[in-house]
Amino acid sequence: MNMFRFPVRNTPRKFKKSFGVGSGPAERIKKLQMLVTALIRNERLEAKESYCLETRGYVEQLIQIAIRNGDRHAETMEKADFWLLEKDLVHKLFKVLVPRYQNYSTACTDFHFLPKKVPGSGVQMGILELKGNPWPPVVPRQRDQGHLLTNVLLSSAKAEYRMEKKITPDLRNGDHDKLEQAANT
Amino acid sequence: MAAFCIRSMLLRNLTCQNLISADPTLTSRVLVCHQQVRGRRRTCKPPSWFSKRRVSIKQDITPENAKFIKDVIIETYKKPESPLKDGPWSRGTWTPRTQRTGVLAIKLGMLPQWTKDGKKFITTLLQVLDNHVINYTPPDEFAKSMGWKPYWGSKYGSVVVGALSCEPHLFSKSYNNLFAKAGVPPKRKLTRFLVTPDAAIQPGTPLNVMHFRIGDYVDCSAKTIGHGFQGVMKRWGMKGGPATHGCTKAHRRMGSMGGGRDKAGVWKGKRMPGHMGMDWRIVKGLKIWRIDTKYNVLYVTGYSVPGPTHGYVRVYDTVLKHKREHLIENGNPPPMPTFYPEDGKEPIPEEYLDDELFNFNNESISYATEK
Amino acid sequence: MAAPCRKIINQFVKRSLKCFEPRVIPCRWSNTVRNHTVEKHRHSPLSSTRELVNQQDSPSDVMVPREFRFVHPDFLPYPVWNRRDRVREKLEREDMLKRRAVIDIPEFYVGSIMAVTLADKNAPGKQNRFVGICIDRAGHGLYHYFVLRNAIDGQGVEIKYDMYNPLLLKIEVLKLEKRLDPQLYYLRDAPLEYSTFRLDMEPVSVLKGAQVPLNAIKVKMNPRPWCRRWERHNLKGVLPLDDYITEKMKKQKQHPQIEKPWEKHDLMLKARTSIDDREVDQIMTEVYKRKEKIQKEKFQKRGQEGKREVKKAQEVKK
Repeated sequence: MNMFRFPVRNTPRKFKKSFGVGSGPAERIKKLQMLVTALIRNERLEAKESYCLETRGYVEQLIQIAIRNGDRHAETMEKADFWLLEKDLVHKLFKVLVPRYQNYSTACTDFHFLPKKVPGSGVQMGILELKGNPWPPVVPRQRDQGHLLTNVLLSSAKAEYRMEKKITPDLRNGDHDKLEQAANT
Repeated sequence: MAAFCIRSMLLRNLTCQNLISADPTLTSRVLVCHQQVRGRRRTCKPPSWFSKRRVSIKQDITPENAKFIKDVIIETYKKPESPLKDGPWSRGTWTPRTQRTGVLAIKLGMLPQWTKDGKKFITTLLQVLDNHVINYTPPDEFAKSMGWKPYWGSKYGSVVVGALSCEPHLFSKSYNNLFAKAGVPPKRKLTRFLVTPDAAIQPGTPLNVMHFRIGDYVDCSAKTIGHGFQGVMKRWGMKGGPATHGCTKAHRRMGSMGGGRDKAGVWKGKRMPGHMGMDWRIVKGLKIWRIDTKYNVLYVTGYSVPGPTHGYVRVYDTVLKHKREHLIENGNPPPMPTFYPEDGKEPIPEEYLDDELFNFNNESISYATEK
Repeated sequence: MAAPCRKIINQFVKRSLKCFEPRVIPCRWSNTVRNHTVEKHRHSPLSSTRELVNQQDSPSDVMVPREFRFVHPDFLPYPVWNRRDRVREKLEREDMLKRRAVIDIPEFYVGSIMAVTLADKNAPGKQNRFVGICIDRAGHGLYHYFVLRNAIDGQGVEIKYDMYNPLLLKIEVLKLEKRLDPQLYYLRDAPLEYSTFRLDMEPVSVLKGAQVPLNAIKVKMNPRPWCRRWERHNLKGVLPLDDYITEKMKKQKQHPQIEKPWEKHDLMLKARTSIDDREVDQIMTEVYKRKEKIQKEKFQKRGQEGKREVKKAQEVKK
């Protein structure tokens, strides 16, 4: 039904000040071209939240049509030529990004909010990045939660629950390792 | 001035006492608001008696344990200890004064259909998804409860119907306790119908599309599409001002507000900018043309059922007298209090069609044979 | 400096916690369920009316011909995603296939010449046959319609037919061909000879499996006034309109607000207003399978009837 792999607004954002006051839809596309090029080049982008989220859609669509149609497709090549202002990135799109995201079932970009600066203009900033980039991660890696009290209690409850159902008679001997194994499977 | 102040303080104290009364048994009924207000209550806050639904607890649970919790939930509700095991309550008989419970459906959108004369008309599709009766309150108890309105008298009890089962760990304890009596998982949405005591239903009874029959008429009540704060042109269809000819800042304004002399001033009810939509509306007397029992879908006349696609719609028997006549005349009462599987013949057909509705399996309509 | 720092940290903590909180539903959505939520509840194991996933539809072991989607544009649903619903579209498709099993709806395009027989109470033979060129074809699902145009007694006549109207008795394609434009409403402002067809026209036979011929005719338009501003429509099947329009109109046409050159490469605009290719494939596979099944049943029925008739004839002979 909804074929987007990421949240999409119903209506596009109007970048009214992207190229000074009075910018119109043509300037909006011009701004987006620059943002898309920058993201494909650097694989990570820090910009206003609205710019990031709009750029996200265009990058995702571009990579998806590149995956679907390949580099022999005239229309896809035309689109890549339009959206990537630096032409060496066309090679990167088809030779690096397409193999990287070929088997993805999720979106190929990530978005993170940045804190607002106080005192400051109050603009909401964000980070947009391609997945699988070489930079250090934005969000610190999740620590191992298996040893938290809730999880320890739950896993033992799971083992008991399984034992009540008599999955295997061996587990009745009270071998703790086996119990955990059974619980994890 | 002083007297006024004291009086107002006293009044405030009185009301406060009523509100705060800790023991509900002391006061038979708490505060009914008799004040009449023009318009409606425009607030996002839930009423005071509303039990909090969602809980936000940060739980660092590993994926295996989360799956275990899900499995346990599914297994506990697979064979719930339903109150229905004792057999349903005694079933009343239908009288012209009877008011049955309704169902809580979801609007799916519109489709055209044709009659056997070849006339095209639009139908709205309403899906009855996973409905259960959650609670029944008899009239005398209901009259003491919070949401009761004095003009209802003691005729009606109330039936709470819920739709869309969820996992209980998403909700607060007080909300989950509402479903203990019915023995069903907590529901995403609840609604209340007024019923006469002869249409009392036992909590835990599933409701489906067979609650209604082909050719019956129903009322639909739902919230309309919200448009937010709108100007006078969109909200009331006024004409606005001219586009050119020296018009300054009056392109979309409403023009004059009132006349002179005895009609001077702004009258009450003047159409002005304001909040548009998101309003309860009832559409009465819609005919049921077609019933799909596989997907639990009702096909109902017209495109005027309020609300957007996937909005909740309360569907219940019509209150219009002239649309209930065929029930009395033909001695053809609807299933009371609802349809039970043992009522109908087995197996239930996948589709019911009205006699006047064109069946797409049939040959094309032609008048040549009538000669 | 300490105070702003603390503020920043507080905000960061709040925001990072926000992702764990359940999303607060704004008031305007309080009486509505989102599409993915409805789908979740339809397949949820907790639900009492659970809908099982039909695995016959999902795998694509059948190769659907590429032209199939252009022959059956009426099966594509309405593309505005917040008004879509899977079950409604499914029920709609069922109705369409049922109707297609009864009446033969042939392959046709805008520009084909067609004859339609309609049941009519007030016509002398209780039937009405109209021949004309198809100038438009639009609508989604059961709303699908096409428009025929012909000149009768020196007067242009257009009739709009609902494709799934049960009053339609027969649809014939007299001449199967395509034109250069997706709509031919400009024939209203062209000489009548371009839209005149004989009512007793005989069908032109086309080889089976051959490519649909393209009629590259260029229409010479009448001078203005026109019913629409055709110079702005970028028509391909029309001779150049430069003689008919003024300098001012030419200038206006090139105005960016009318030309809208930025929409050409707007990928998200296309994604928002059209149906994704993968979904089109899904729908077409489902329809293709059902159509094949219906055709097989039809053949079997015909075969049985034929056998019965043969038997009857033999009995009569005896």
